[in-house]
Amino acid sequence: MKTPTSLQTARHRKNTRPAKRKTFHYPSDVDKSAAITLIEANISHKWEMETDRASSPLPRTVTALAHFSRLPEANDICHGRDPLPQQSTESVLKEHGGHVDQCEKPSCVGVNGLPLDRHVTQVRHITQLRSGFWQGLDLPLKDTSELVSDLVNQSARARFQAIRSLPMPFSERKIIRNRVNSVKQSKTIIPTNCGQQVSRSFRRFRAGLASARQYLIIWHDTLKDIGGRFGTSVLSYFLFLKWLLKFNLFSLIINFCFITIPQIGYFNQTVLYYGGYNGEVIVSKPGYNMQLAYFFTIAAYLVLCGVSLIYSMSRSFQKNFVLDTGPVSGGAWRLLCSWDFSVVNEKAIQYNKNNLAIQLKESLSERLQEKNKMDLSDRIKHLSLNVLAWLLSLGLAVGCSAGIYFLGTDPELAFSFNHSPNDLTAEASTLLLPVVVSIINLIVPILYSLISKIESYSNPRAKIYISIVRNVILKMSILGILCFYWLDFVPSSVSCWESFVGQSVYRLLIFDFIFCLIGIFYGEFLLNVIGTRCIQSLGVPEFDIARNVLDLIYAQTLAWIGIYFSPLLPVMQVLKLFIIFYLKKISLSMNCQPPKHSGRAAQIQTVFIALLFFPSFVGALSMVAFTVWSLKPSSECGPFQGLDTPFHTIFSWTASIQGPSETNWVWWIFENILRSELFYYLISLIILVITYFLWQITEGRKQLINTLRQQIVNEGKDKAFLLDKMQKLQKERREKASYRPQDYDQTPHFNPNWMNTLPLDM
Amino acid sequence: MDLFAQKKIQSTEPILIPHGELTFLTKQEILLAHKIFSELQGRENGPYSARVTMEKILTLPELKSNPFRKRICHVFSTSDMKDGSLSFEDFLDLLSAFSDSATLEIKSHYAFRIFDFDDDGTLDSRDLEKLVNCLTGETDDTRLTAEEMRQLISNILEESDIDKDGTVNLSEFQHVISRSPDFVR
Repeated sequence: MKTPTSLQTARHRKNTRPAKRKTFHYPSDVDKSAAITLIEANISHKWEMETDRASSPLPRTVTALAHFSRLPEANDICHGRDPLPQQSTESVLKEHGGHVDQCEKPSCVGVNGLPLDRHVTQVRHITQLRSGFWQGLDLPLKDTSELVSDLVNQSARARFQAIRSLPMPFSERKIIRNRVNSVKQSKTIIPTNCGQQVSRSFRRFRAGLASARQYLIIWHDTLKDIGGRFGTSVLSYFLFLKWLLKFNLFSLIINFCFITIPQIGYFNQTVLYYGGYNGEVIVSKPGYNMQLAYFFTIAAYLVLCGVSLIYSMSRSFQKNFVLDTGPVSGGAWRLLCSWDFSVVNEKAIQYNKNNLAIQLKESLSERLQEKNKMDLSDRIKHLSLNVLAWLLSLGLAVGCSAGIYFLGTDPELAFSFNHSPNDLTAEASTLLLPVVVSIINLIVPILYSLISKIESYSNPRAKIYISIVRNVILKMSILGILCFYWLDFVPSSVSCWESFVGQSVYRLLIFDFIFCLIGIFYGEFLLNVIGTRCIQSLGVPEFDIARNVLDLIYAQTLAWIGIYFSPLLPVMQVLKLFIIFYLKKISLSMNCQPPKHSGRAAQIQTVFIALLFFPSFVGALSMVAFTVWSLKPSSECGPFQGLDTPFHTIFSWTASIQGPSETNWVWWIFENILRSELFYYLISLIILVITYFLWQITEGRKQLINTLRQQIVNEGKDKAFLLDKMQKLQKERREKASYRPQDYDQTPHFNPNWMNTLPLDM
Repeated sequence: MDLFAQKKIQSTEPILIPHGELTFLTKQEILLAHKIFSELQGRENGPYSARVTMEKILTLPELKSNPFRKRICHVFSTSDMKDGSLSFEDFLDLLSAFSDSATLEIKSHYAFRIFDFDDDGTLDSRDLEKLVNCLTGETDDTRLTAEEMRQLISNILEESDIDKDGTVNLSEFQHVISRSPDFVR
């Protein structure tokens, strides 16, 4: 079987093609062979640009041609025949006995004398195409031996991962794996049994660890159940809770080990609050400096928290806020991508379907509405309503903060220090402040949601974000005013003020917990009863994710503030989180339904992690830093009594190690580098330069992406042009052939919509 | 989707090491799958070569209400008769592709094939229309009108069809998926 010269030319041209893209000239008078050559060349060149692999001969071009044009003649090109055939594909394949895998025909030696199995592969590829088993652009084209040789060259671990990730059925993966193993076995001349055994047993150990870890993960089954019934966004609340629990457990463990146990062991005083800790050095061997231990434990914990938060935040941000180039309005396809496959409950699936339909309709009508521009008076009205709502919200927040401050400093109502513990009214008056704070936290968000009803936003997502921002402003202003009160007013009024602050934080946390329970009962249970029995129009209450997550963030901020003043506070926080998890789960199953606008779970989660970092963690850290750096510790209690500021322990420690020469370098580093301002100026300057540099790189990449997108669009236009030309050629050819009426029926008929009407004759 | 929510392992079958290396499932998950598959077959021994019909697979609680259950069976089935029946290895393929540790490429590859209702290798407007109808329900008030459907499909194609050929092929689909982080489940 002779190969037509056009194909030879094409192959030859492929091997000598330069790497970069050339402009192709399209001659006006194109004859058929040149047209095929052009198409092949263009497509295989595109191929090389896309896949950047060594071009193997004909099958790739052929299947590429078939992919881009889906012409039935692809098979004939494979057989080296005239690409504009007189026969249709079925008859060609019928020649091969109808078997796609085995080519029985003895005279068929493939293209240009290629061996039989290569030919079989070609036929199989094309018939697989026709029968609809298109597996993607690279896999059918890579010959199996190429794949095997690629795999053999990788390390064992990468090889396993690569084999697992092949999008093939199980049997084919097994075949490839066996081939790879046999090649590897034949390659290793010296039997490295020891090394192989070690690596194999290590791999098994790791797999065993992975499966054992599944048992250790708490709440694994419960979380799967919740995700299955309510979807991923509600699940994100519970995952957030679990993550916070890890923080608190960690802090509990290290505080207990490094601060509490030495205290109990040696000093026998109350260890719950700051005041109970003694600042003396344990002189017995091994010497344990309690001051340094306290300082460094708290500092290490906060630094680790910060690092972990920054890491999670940046990873989440990178995953979820990817560069959005191209048309993004509407997000219709994104809505379809957000179908939650993890939901398995039938009612929930039906519910999700209804929601998706409603959301699609809404987004479609939004797009239509965007086209109708609002006139000026409407816009002014909307803007003024927005401004009014913001003023009201901010006014409420400021008013509440001021109220808390005056309540706290009023000697009659709440602030009675130096009272005897038996005075019940005085005890009760200390509870006034926490109760008021918790009531504010409960009621004002409801007021905010009422306020937001008067204004209208074009985007429902904007509404969610705005309500989150307002609630965050409220909570942070309350916490801010409390911090100010504790750091400014209290130290001058109470003798052992750190313990007082610790007690206040403890009370706040307890009351927050109690009001959370009340919220579950009244907010969800009663609303459910009212909604279903009495006022049917209200319906079953939705699970408000944003409000619940903000409550968690608020409690965690309090816990971080309180760590310095009460090292065992994490105990309460851990217990609290455990109980809230189970109660919320029960309440969810009994009372609530999933939220309606549940898309974009991943983005909202990034926002929550970012909120946890700033302002929550940063605020707590700055408060603790201010206390350690600038405030004078109380002189009667606590480990830092007698010092100017708690930070002075570092100075006395470095002074103590200045003497012996082997630790002199530590002192030198501390004194001349960490304490000098020049060092920090230099570091800031270097970081600014690096940031600017990276920003410029990002801008350059954005431009590159735009250019590449434009190039893809141009390629599509090229393809359409070439196919048009092919069609014209076909027509001309058919007209010429119409002189032979007996062959007329067998020439394939191209209609203009050939792309959509693939003859499914396989 | 994960089948292993509430069940514990009791079986003591021999360890299926090659299956563990070729899929994304752990040893326990493979044993559990073995057990479920044997139950579906109705007998307890050697299900390695036999196939379970599509109707029986669809009785699994996790697949029963899934709107794409039939497409899933067709995509993962390697039977010659194209009847959607699954062997044990096909079943493992199915579980592996839906497990939490499967890569994004595998998930998007199989999702593309599931959405490709006519198996021609691209998502054209008819595939998209069937997809939207599958996801939005069959009752009259949730079904989209023809006009809305047309508008929706043109929006989708405008967003995802990069080379403007009127269809979404695998690379374009994977590109959209990579920009939409909600997908991974």
